[in-house]
Amino acid sequence: MSLRVLNPNAEVLNKSAALHMNINAAKGLQNVLKTNLGPKGTIKMLVSGAGDIKLTKDGNTLLKEMQIQNPTAIMIARTAVAQDDISGDGTTSTVLFIGELMKQSEHYIDEGMHPRVLVDGFEIAKRATLQFLEKFKTLVLMGDEPDKEVLKMVARTTLRTKLYETLADRLTDIVVNAVLCIRRPEEGIDLFMVEIMHMRHKFDVDTRLVEGLVLDHGSRHPDMKRRAENCYILTCNVSLEYEKSEINAGFFYSSAEQREAMVSAERRQVDERVQKIIDLKNKVCSGNDNDFVVINQKGIDPPSLDVLAKAGIIALRRAKRRNMERLVLACGGEVVNSVDDLTPDCLGWAGLVYEHILGEEKYTFVENVKNPHSCTILIKGPNDHTIAQIKDAVRDGLRAVKNTIEDEAVVLGAGAFEVAARQYLVNEVKKTVQGRAQLGVEAFADALLVVPKTLAENSGLDTQDVIIALTGEHDRGNVVGLNQHTGEPIDPQMEGIFDNYSVKRQIINSGPVIVSQLLLVDEVIRAGRNMRKPT
Amino acid sequence: MNKMVINHLDKLFVTNDAATIVNELEVQHPAAKILVLASKAQQEEIGDGANLTISFAGELLQNAEELIRMGLHPSEIISGYTKAINKTVEILEQLVEKGSENIDVRNKDQVICRMKAAVASKQFGQEDILCSLVADACIQVCPKNPANFNVDNVRVVKLLGGGLHNSAVVRGMVLKSDAVGSIKQVEKAKVAVFASGVDTSATETKGTVLIHSAEQLENYSKTEEAKVEELIKAVADSGAKVIVSGAAIGEMALHFCERYKLMVLKISSKFELRRFCRTTGSVAMLKLSQPNPDDLGHVDSITVEEIGGVRVTIAKNEEGGNSVATVVLRGSTDSILDDLERAIDDGVNTYKAMCRDSRIVPGAAATEIELARRVKEFSYKETGLDQYAIAKFAESFEMVPRTLAENAGLNEMEIMSSLYAEHASGNSKVGIDLEEGVCKDISILDVWDLYITKFFALKYAADAACTVLRVDQIIMAKPAGGPKRDQPAAGMDED
Repeated sequence: MSLRVLNPNAEVLNKSAALHMNINAAKGLQNVLKTNLGPKGTIKMLVSGAGDIKLTKDGNTLLKEMQIQNPTAIMIARTAVAQDDISGDGTTSTVLFIGELMKQSEHYIDEGMHPRVLVDGFEIAKRATLQFLEKFKTLVLMGDEPDKEVLKMVARTTLRTKLYETLADRLTDIVVNAVLCIRRPEEGIDLFMVEIMHMRHKFDVDTRLVEGLVLDHGSRHPDMKRRAENCYILTCNVSLEYEKSEINAGFFYSSAEQREAMVSAERRQVDERVQKIIDLKNKVCSGNDNDFVVINQKGIDPPSLDVLAKAGIIALRRAKRRNMERLVLACGGEVVNSVDDLTPDCLGWAGLVYEHILGEEKYTFVENVKNPHSCTILIKGPNDHTIAQIKDAVRDGLRAVKNTIEDEAVVLGAGAFEVAARQYLVNEVKKTVQGRAQLGVEAFADALLVVPKTLAENSGLDTQDVIIALTGEHDRGNVVGLNQHTGEPIDPQMEGIFDNYSVKRQIINSGPVIVSQLLLVDEVIRAGRNMRKPT
Repeated sequence: MNKMVINHLDKLFVTNDAATIVNELEVQHPAAKILVLASKAQQEEIGDGANLTISFAGELLQNAEELIRMGLHPSEIISGYTKAINKTVEILEQLVEKGSENIDVRNKDQVICRMKAAVASKQFGQEDILCSLVADACIQVCPKNPANFNVDNVRVVKLLGGGLHNSAVVRGMVLKSDAVGSIKQVEKAKVAVFASGVDTSATETKGTVLIHSAEQLENYSKTEEAKVEELIKAVADSGAKVIVSGAAIGEMALHFCERYKLMVLKISSKFELRRFCRTTGSVAMLKLSQPNPDDLGHVDSITVEEIGGVRVTIAKNEEGGNSVATVVLRGSTDSILDDLERAIDDGVNTYKAMCRDSRIVPGAAATEIELARRVKEFSYKETGLDQYAIAKFAESFEMVPRTLAENAGLNEMEIMSSLYAEHASGNSKVGIDLEEGVCKDISILDVWDLYITKFFALKYAADAACTVLRVDQIIMAKPAGGPKRDQPAAGMDED
């Protein structure tokens, strides 16, 4: 109570009160996210301040949107969000694991054990589990041609936890093909090279992969072609509109003729640039009926559009900067910054360019490209919340595939790893530990079981039955996971349920760290200049 | 029955068009909002059947509630509903009337027979007049490949006064504005369209006229005049008799237009101008200059008429002018006109849908009863718990004939039992005749619904219902204070 003397306005929670506040916050967060885990988890509906709806099963999205107020919960949520930033998945598991660790610790602390001893035990258990993970992981050699089946299995496992089954299976192929499309040997995978575009249209299962690019704008001239085949693509970043000079200039004239002359002189510079593009078009398109498409990052003003349209060129203006990169990767050629030295080498090529109009929105598809290193996932859905849901899932799916390629390893899923690690900790590690730290190891081991337990609970199965069955199988030396439909043990390898190695490692790494910090808190002080109680 | 809705801007709507009602209701409840979104999706996809989407999804959820009370887990209901909708789609395909997949979209009778049900549901009793108007307009603008039919090409102009019987279809466009000059009527003329104004040209950079003496000032005005005259003369020489401007028309330019006997129209909307270009087959020029002969369009006649106290310009293009058609609607009040317009919109959308997929299924609730019967049968074959969900799904279809009967003031129990009896004996095309209040074969009544409308409506409804069922928790943020959030500007430079 010494703080009271120093600052009578400060709020203090001491010793056990502080500890219990932390534990309760962790448990509370766990309870919120519990129902979302696994393919049979349910969805939460988030309604924003403006009344917009968001439906999600993704732990990361939930934590971001939930506007958490409790300081402990915020800490946990940050760890989980960091988990997502690094590995793209496993947020729900992280929160559950942290919550469960806190819950297990509570028993021991209530019995009078010092948190420090528990924390020591956690540290030992964590190191042992990480070592075990190294042994347990299944190696996947990537080489030049990655094994598509494995990637698909990993992607499917992730996606099924975010979306319902039919849709998840459809997205699996899309996601895997997208990553393989942009993957280039000896280079890191840049997921930004996968454009994610959405259209409010048809059904969610109509989502597809476009090998090429989809731009969310169309040509701005009514006379330009809506569909063109065998196109040369000029990707450029050249202003094709009249720009005022930096200095304040003015014209003086004394007759209308003079003014007319000024008007045309003003345009000449822009017209010359347009003419150069047209010259190039005439050069490459003479003698064949190929089409010519200009995609410009800067603007093209109506007179220039008109001239281009008359020359039979399709022109798109104000493309996104990132799309310029993607275009070059998809179609070949290079981004041109000046029209002074245009050569046919600068041109990319696409088999089909067409415009699709959806109500007010226009989309331009650049398809049938020769050697794509960039692609577009075109998400369709009848309404915004479906699209947002798919978008989040696709992003996670892409990350899962990327992780697998980079880790060159996967981990058996469906709770198999957790049960195996628990058995390993209890049967082997615990015996090597001296003194009370053993209890910490035990608590850690039991906390690992939260994943299979929650999976069983969400499928409406009996938790105890499931755990007994699973541990029994593991003791007999069989590595098994949980079959969500029947509650029977299954071999995850046979079913193709694989998790990311880096995701699991991150969970085991970050969970105990934050729990140790929280357990070792012995006083929560809210003090400072602005201490008005939130009423 | 119609509903009267007054929205936040105090605008009055009298309608029974579900899409409009839900749009103006500003639904707040999140679950209800999901249903509204489903109906909006339907409205965007097909343009009709929004009511079916909402009512069916609502019915599904209501039945789901009973199932949950019985002790079923939502996931079992979802799996049952998913199975049921897949089966429904399968059955729906079997119910398609044979031979309906190829129709001649230019045959008025065939078009009307498919459109009637959609329009009648909005304007019962007036569907014959409306359908023939819509069909006429649509057939006129139908392109060579019907799949490319553009809804935008059928315009509706609402003019207060008269009655529905005075409504007509115009081949071409009707502009709700007067001609600018004194020439009000031109026949068989060439048209020049200028996107920028008809006036003296100006530089982007600020220009200053340098004048030293009064003489120069006079001379300058003269050169200015001469320049404009030269331009207008060039246009007149090219054979054009009508000038259409997308922006302001200078006084001086107007004067010369009068002198060269040119009719002058001003269309300030960019889209309207583009439509006008399509109607006349002209190309909009950016600068006032001598037009190419190719860029000139043609109209059969442009006249300014006064209809119901409003001066309108009617541009007609009979031959080859199959690009834009306008339905001139007459009615006694604004809300009647608005409601008629919505019925026409639905009709046009139905036409578009039938251009893409012309298959039809029996209307007047015959399809729904048949679906209810067959899905129910399907549920008996299922063994799991989801059979109850499938059975409830089947029951939900009954909502349609029940509501139809109720709204027509008929005895629903009687109707339902006789419908079921007829269908059980194999007459799968028996529906309700609302006027006589008896069950009849649809082929006699000639009431058909488009397959594609039903397909999307049912599918969206089932999707929405399943989405709502999947939710186990709703987390609501406090409503944001302050003024309503604006729509983000439609910029393209997001990156």
